[in-house]
Amino acid sequence: MSAPKVAVLFGFGINCDHETAAVFNLVGGDSERIHVNHFVSGNRSLEDFEILAVPGGFSFGDHLGSGRLMGNRMRFALREQLHAFVAAGKPIIGICNGFQVLVKTGLLPGPGADGPLPDFVQRASLTLNDSGRYEDRWVTLEFDDQSPCIWTKGIQRIDCPVRHGEGKFVMPSTTDFDALAANHQLTVRYVDPKSPIGEGISDQPLPFPLSPNGSMRNIAGICDATGLVFGLMPHPEAVYAKWLHPDHTRNTAPGPLTSDTLGEWEGEGLQMFRNAVQYVLSKR
Amino acid sequence: MAVTRVEVTPKQGEGMRDVRGDVIRRQLKADHNLDVSNVRSINGFLIKSNVEKSAIDDRANDLFADPIIEDVLTDSLFLTSSEHFPLTPDAAITIGFKPGVTDNPGSAAYDGFQTLFPQTDLVDASISTYHTYAFFGLPDGVTCEWLAATLHNSLIQRAVVADSAACSNGQWPAIDYPEKPPQTLTPPKRVDLEIPDEALENLSETGLLALNLEEMQTIQAHYRDTTIQQSRAAVGIVPDAPTDVELECLAQTWSEHCKHKIFASKIHHVDVDTGEDTYIDSIFKTHIMKPTHDLQKEVDWLLSVFHDNSGVIAWDENWSVCMKAETHNSPSALDPYGGAMTGIVGVNRDILGTGLGARPIANTDVFCFGPPDWDGELPDNLFHPSRVFRGVHAGVRVGGNESGIPTVNGAIVFDNRYIGKPLVYCGTVGIMPRKLPDGRESHIKTPSPGDIVYMVGGRVGYDGIHGATFSSLELTEESPSSAVQIGDPITQKKMLDMVLEARDAGLISCITDNGAGGLSSSIGEMAEYTNGCEIDLAKVPLKQPGLSAWEILVSESQERMTIAVRPEHREAFDAMAQLHEVEATPVATFTNSGMFHVKYGEDTVAYLSIEFLHDGVPQLQLESEWSTPTPEKFDPATIQLDKDGHSDLLLRMLARPNIASKESWVRQYDHEVIAQTAVKPFVGVHRDGPGDAGVIAPLHGDPHGLVISCGIAPRYSDLDAGAMAAASIDEAVRNAVCAGINVDKMAGLDNFCWPDSIESVKTPDGKFKLAQLVRANRELERVCRAYKLPCVSGKDSMKNDYGTGEKKISIPPTLLYSVFGDQPDVRFTATSDFKNRGDKIYLIGQSKEELGASEISFMLHESGEAAGIGGQVPLLPDPETNLTTYRALSTAIQAGLVRTAHDCSEGGVAVAAAEMCIGGRVGAEIDIDGTGPSGVWSRLWGESLGRFIVGVQPEDEADFVEWMSGHSITLLGEVTDTDKMVISDGYEVLIEAEIDSMVESWQNTLDMTGGVA
Repeated sequence: MSAPKVAVLFGFGINCDHETAAVFNLVGGDSERIHVNHFVSGNRSLEDFEILAVPGGFSFGDHLGSGRLMGNRMRFALREQLHAFVAAGKPIIGICNGFQVLVKTGLLPGPGADGPLPDFVQRASLTLNDSGRYEDRWVTLEFDDQSPCIWTKGIQRIDCPVRHGEGKFVMPSTTDFDALAANHQLTVRYVDPKSPIGEGISDQPLPFPLSPNGSMRNIAGICDATGLVFGLMPHPEAVYAKWLHPDHTRNTAPGPLTSDTLGEWEGEGLQMFRNAVQYVLSKR
Repeated sequence: MAVTRVEVTPKQGEGMRDVRGDVIRRQLKADHNLDVSNVRSINGFLIKSNVEKSAIDDRANDLFADPIIEDVLTDSLFLTSSEHFPLTPDAAITIGFKPGVTDNPGSAAYDGFQTLFPQTDLVDASISTYHTYAFFGLPDGVTCEWLAATLHNSLIQRAVVADSAACSNGQWPAIDYPEKPPQTLTPPKRVDLEIPDEALENLSETGLLALNLEEMQTIQAHYRDTTIQQSRAAVGIVPDAPTDVELECLAQTWSEHCKHKIFASKIHHVDVDTGEDTYIDSIFKTHIMKPTHDLQKEVDWLLSVFHDNSGVIAWDENWSVCMKAETHNSPSALDPYGGAMTGIVGVNRDILGTGLGARPIANTDVFCFGPPDWDGELPDNLFHPSRVFRGVHAGVRVGGNESGIPTVNGAIVFDNRYIGKPLVYCGTVGIMPRKLPDGRESHIKTPSPGDIVYMVGGRVGYDGIHGATFSSLELTEESPSSAVQIGDPITQKKMLDMVLEARDAGLISCITDNGAGGLSSSIGEMAEYTNGCEIDLAKVPLKQPGLSAWEILVSESQERMTIAVRPEHREAFDAMAQLHEVEATPVATFTNSGMFHVKYGEDTVAYLSIEFLHDGVPQLQLESEWSTPTPEKFDPATIQLDKDGHSDLLLRMLARPNIASKESWVRQYDHEVIAQTAVKPFVGVHRDGPGDAGVIAPLHGDPHGLVISCGIAPRYSDLDAGAMAAASIDEAVRNAVCAGINVDKMAGLDNFCWPDSIESVKTPDGKFKLAQLVRANRELERVCRAYKLPCVSGKDSMKNDYGTGEKKISIPPTLLYSVFGDQPDVRFTATSDFKNRGDKIYLIGQSKEELGASEISFMLHESGEAAGIGGQVPLLPDPETNLTTYRALSTAIQAGLVRTAHDCSEGGVAVAAAEMCIGGRVGAEIDIDGTGPSGVWSRLWGESLGRFIVGVQPEDEADFVEWMSGHSITLLGEVTDTDKMVISDGYEVLIEAEIDSMVESWQNTLDMTGGVA
């Protein structure tokens, strides 16, 4: 079977495109970095791809709010292509600035479970960290094992770096959160690494820096009602190998004991990308 | 065209915060100990366009405001709205840009505006932004004027204020669109040089040309040559005198900044102590270039040195790497944020302009500031060091982060004398495939006559006129604002993406960046390859109309590359620029006419031979005289220790700004974008111990690594600038060794920052300062030859002084030495944090009687406990032996035998061991008996070079000792699971310190964030 084709967007200040493309290739994907304007101009079509990744970066410098201007370009110029992509059951991931873009296009969290296809209405936002600072620091994440998210199946807890100044997830009211929680769309949260695995998730705000940004309900990432579209602020691609984990120098970096690509050196972040590639293969 | 105002403010309510206001509130607390109860913020946009106000109002939530978190108001001020601002503030301040200053949020908003209103005629539309802050609960005695001065830089920004009375009366600060007064183009002028010598000097000074009399006379003589006059008449340019375009062009090209005239000078050097009396024909050629070229004959991996924008080494069969470091001191003194940002994005362009284009993959930054807690007097026109620190840090942070380049290594150094001129060193590492798809070697430029020369990226404006000549003068109260620019990282990032695609498509024949001297330098330098060029300045896209020809030629407006393209590749290149939304304009062609030929439309405005332009500058003749400084000696025997003795000194030392943790600052840099950083700036169990060097594995899936490190020791210059240079190089190499660098494949960069060292009325001690430079370079050559360490690139900044006469402040002579090199496998590296209880601790190297200019001497001298800082400065008598020890340690790390290593520098063994305990959050028992032929103070606090502390697992100890046989190693003790570090000298306990107290002392000093509350 041919490797699933992955479109990794770049241009206008996206800057994690190289590594995002690389991690898909490590798990059997066939990725290509493609400038956003190729899709806007119609040179290339999203239809030719099976996975779409919107990587991290500083699209348009994050002026006027992170991800907003890129979100607008996609909302206005790629509306039909994106709708068709999700309708065709193809996965999309947005990481960091990519998550901000997906939230601002309205792809995340998207409409409810009864009519889950994109309507491009913004329902949530990612705003300035409570600290007021951009920071690069490692956090611990725990995943909702009942989430419909196809990207996170089987992943329980991982360490990842966050690298953002605007990662505080907000929605207008608690009922908005309750509705997402009921659908298990609050896919991934910041947790205290000292909590027992499987019991870390809490709605009560964790103190800084366990929650690096003051996110409501400690939300690090969410999915849409289909489980195909997923976004998160932390960078799983930045821990594709154990040698990128700060503890590798102490011989205590967590991760799988063996892997088909990196042997004993696979990092905890790679599984997410493998999940999407295998999902696509399973649907063929 | 109408101007529509749109204001945006964060929604108030459960869980919502006004973070921008909070940041202002915390900074007032951290920097000025002011408690303000609340600060609210408003972002404003002034939209100049033909679009109806109502149409903008309808779409305000689509562009300017985020409806989930922000409220928006069109055509009115939020402060007038009692619904949004029910309480009357005690003060309100609005800050906007001055006309013509780069407004990045404004440009981004304009881009978004075009997405929403694509059909509108937007030719002259633009958007300007501002911020308003409303202060509630302002303490008595704080004036609006003071607040405004604290919050803005009047060189580039405007502030409008409303004090308490104005606020009560509803007189709110409303700022207008910053309309730039129209400029009229002045045609090129003839500049008469047939004037007396005094008038020539005056012309140079008033015109900011920074040329000396001999240089002015050389230019004068050039135009007296009748052959030259005839050739000029033939092209229709004034024959017997330069045009202003030519004079400006020569001034830029011949500036100290571009030509490094002091490093190229002929120096008469006298050593009063030894009686030496000799001549040195170019320090650069003698002490830097020659040794590196000699080394180039011995190794096969030095691909390109000196002549390109950065030095290139072969890293493996398929990839080469390069590195460059620059300084941006003068601009950072005037506008710390903008100056520093252009520093980092500027050096990124040096990498992009190396060979046929390299990709920047890592940044380094090293800053030298005045003490952040300075409470002494400040000279006019200088900012407080804490403000310089904040601004420089923010500029480098935004420049690096937004460009997607990780900051993997750096340092921050403090000394009172940097109040006069901060040093802002920015470095970048790049990578490129050794062979391009079309078979060309990427490190070799391939221009030919007929190539079309494009200016790519940003446009040319008034910002950045005279940067090169300005940096070749001392800072004064009248320093010009046009020398300051603000970078635009996103415009540059778009350009970078495009250029690398163009490179891989084989479209680039030659490339260089536009930095100092603008097009004059970039095209001028590239024209040397083909021996000629013809430029048409009328084609250059401008930020605003009205720039004169000379201004277009020398403006240093940012984000521009100059790229040569074969005529047959033009179409493909244009298409690529269009896709990436990058402006690319053909402005010149390469020729082989031997002439630098500049036109404005049909008119020739400059006509200079390439030879005269590049090689016409006369060599300086300078005087140098050394006599060893003898400051009061630092004598430990006179120090009265209190009851806690050295333990107390340790906590004080850990809190010294030069030693204290810089984590709260460094953590704000993205240090791991690109997913390659295997050793991060902070290490250990809580990821807050100091890292010695950055280690990256840039090829995804492959653990083959690169090490990046630096060394800097400016205070040793107080005793001997030669020792300072040797210490800087040794520190950089030691740091790299700790990470497991391959010592047989490493390269270095020398970045000199010196005070004016040409004897004159302004600089009566110029001979001594030049002798310091001579000694520094002699040591540089000696150590680099011994370490087999080629200096592949470097830079010098030679006028780091403020003011004149009594008020003059000169920086201590400072060499930043950076090292980059091969690391065979990042999985086998070492970090400074102690790992496990029972690990054996060894000292590598010897502690000698070398306390001169040490951090402990400065601390005790500043507090009045010691009479002076003098004495024996650390020396490097036998670097050849050091290298063999470094090779042994590095290979032990690569073999997995050593997982813990830290170099000993400021604060000696005591501070290094403390940092290792902090990183591992473990205790240690250490005995410094037998660590060298010196007294207790030297063994504890001395900064002798060539030393490391390493940790070894007990089961590896025997192998380690065998591996290191023949090298000086001493067992110090072992790691314990107590919460204490104990250092003894035989039976005498010198230091007993709790880990928690050490952490607190080390972390608090420089945490100026003001917390998160």
